[in-house]
Amino acid sequence: MSDKKVMLDVQNLKLYFRTQAGPVQAVDDVSFQLKQGHTLAVVGESGCGKSSLAKAILRLLPRNISTYEGSIIFDGQDLMTFDDERFRREIRWINIASVPQASMNSLNPVVRIEDQLIEPLLVHDKFNKQKAKDRVAEVFEIVGLPVDFLQRYPFELSGGMRQRAIIAMALASDPKLIVLDEPSSALDLLSQANLMNVLKRIKQTINTTFILITHDIGTASELADEVAVMYAGKMVEYASAEYFYTDAHHPYSQKLMASVPTLREDKDLAFIPGQPPSLINPPTGCRFAARCEKRFEKCSMQPRTTDLGNGATVQCWLFDETGEVKHA
Amino acid sequence: MPSLAKTLPNGQPQNQKAVLRIENLHTWFEIRRMGFFKAGDVRALDGATFELYEGETISIVGESGCGKSTLAKTILGINHITKGSIFFEDQDLSTLDKEGWKRYRSAIGYIQQDPYGALPPFMTVQRILEEPMKINGITDRAEQKKRIRQVLEEVKLAPIEDFLPKFPHMLSGGQQQRLVIARAMILDPKMLIADEPVSMLDASVRVEILQLLQALQRRHNLAILYITHDLSTVRYFSERIFAMYGGKIIEKSSTTGLLEKPLHPYTAALFEATSDPDVENLHSFKDVPAGEPPSLLNPPPGCRFHPRCKKMIKGLCDQQMPPEIWVHEDHAAACWLYKDQA
Repeated sequence: MSDKKVMLDVQNLKLYFRTQAGPVQAVDDVSFQLKQGHTLAVVGESGCGKSSLAKAILRLLPRNISTYEGSIIFDGQDLMTFDDERFRREIRWINIASVPQASMNSLNPVVRIEDQLIEPLLVHDKFNKQKAKDRVAEVFEIVGLPVDFLQRYPFELSGGMRQRAIIAMALASDPKLIVLDEPSSALDLLSQANLMNVLKRIKQTINTTFILITHDIGTASELADEVAVMYAGKMVEYASAEYFYTDAHHPYSQKLMASVPTLREDKDLAFIPGQPPSLINPPTGCRFAARCEKRFEKCSMQPRTTDLGNGATVQCWLFDETGEVKHA
Repeated sequence: MPSLAKTLPNGQPQNQKAVLRIENLHTWFEIRRMGFFKAGDVRALDGATFELYEGETISIVGESGCGKSTLAKTILGINHITKGSIFFEDQDLSTLDKEGWKRYRSAIGYIQQDPYGALPPFMTVQRILEEPMKINGITDRAEQKKRIRQVLEEVKLAPIEDFLPKFPHMLSGGQQQRLVIARAMILDPKMLIADEPVSMLDASVRVEILQLLQALQRRHNLAILYITHDLSTVRYFSERIFAMYGGKIIEKSSTTGLLEKPLHPYTAALFEATSDPDVENLHSFKDVPAGEPPSLLNPPPGCRFHPRCKKMIKGLCDQQMPPEIWVHEDHAAACWLYKDQA
């Protein structure tokens, strides 16, 4: 493993929402580490908690929170000890920027792109107006948009261009970490490929750390150095992309990979019967057990996180004996 | 009618019946200025010709705005035909009266993209399935019950009694889509039009729905028009693939032929842009054209892809519309690159 410094260290993060039927365990005891300049792809089906994980890291929380605990150590500082004002002033958008889902459609239609892009820089007193404009022009070039498009209104740009403008906005304050939530799923195939090229170039030249949240395992492979699989609020597998795409360990990851149709290779497709459990009162044992072909007696208990070596971990009893137990 | 050798891919039986025949079909939408001055036409579908055979699936791939949904809706009779004709079992649709249209519509099933939006939220599963039968004069209660039981069994919504009183919001996305398929099947159609049937669903459910459609097709010898933007699902699901761009069908091929080598530069770009899960992707950039699809109100002269095409031939591609050129027996492209092979 490289000796790059750890940019983000999340330990035992929990985010529960309060509902009338009981707490929804959207993110339940998630731990992982992400190195500087690396990209982590968080994959999983809808409702598995991947967007909630992003919200928990950015502390963009709704009001009905019942539990929000664990530790998020970002660049050496424990963010959980920050109060909301300090978090807003020092972290959000300055050091951790975010591209929320479908954000290309949330640009203000009656304000020019430039005025919208410089706003976060002015709010945070990072630059004066002229410097902010220069900086925005700079990042516009990085994402491959003509600088004169800054004077346009959002409706004059296509979907792919608006999405790139949003990414420029996230890049403008030179954050250390950018959280991308389904950045390309609303785009057409060719715009999607163009956007992935742009993100790849940013990753190689600026060395930004990304968290990419997506349901599309194929597209994730364009950018991911590490892959985390979430299922029903748990992070069931975490591995380098190299290991994950060739040799996924968790039965759910294997099934998920088998369900992805491929263009270049003919394979037998399989689907996963059944549905994910409700996150209100989820099963006490492994949450995938009901749909798993390999379940045995032990699966009625919550599996421990097993270290598979090379930084890969899996939450599955199948590997508990062979692997080295990291923590109980 | 073009010769069968050119419309059927290799290895398919020659004696199959064409369920649907489409000839030079155009669907234009008129744009009006100030309510009554005609400002022009959006040429959403600009000349399509093909035949769909019994028991076969044609996939239509293309990006948003290429006219693929317009094609589906014109076949369904939702859009008016501007020019050209549609024949269903050798009957010209333009000659149909009101009763004829009703019969035609009962013979084609429509599977919508967004299952939740396609199901009335205030109706139970039972009423949703009864509705098409009521409209088409199947009023016998025993017959209704029999058909409902049969389609629900076929789409595997079991146990049936549990599902009948449920409302759409009580079903998962995959179950909703299976209900939409059941509704499309209840009148025992000859043809299904599936407009992005799986794009709103999760990966693990997607395959389940596609395999279900395939099983139904085999059992009922259904013709299916499968419209999608996702190139990776078509190989598992169709005999022929058509690619559309800017309102035109630019490539027609058997699935094997297209997967071997796409001919049109646009189809090749779609191919390149599709990511298979593979770690090698991390280290390579995708060679895809920049720019956007053309405006259909005022499309570029010549080939509609030429402003974005790297292989553009000056003086030809930007002036003359390429004809459909059959490069192989089962593979045609509307591209001037193959002009010597015409």
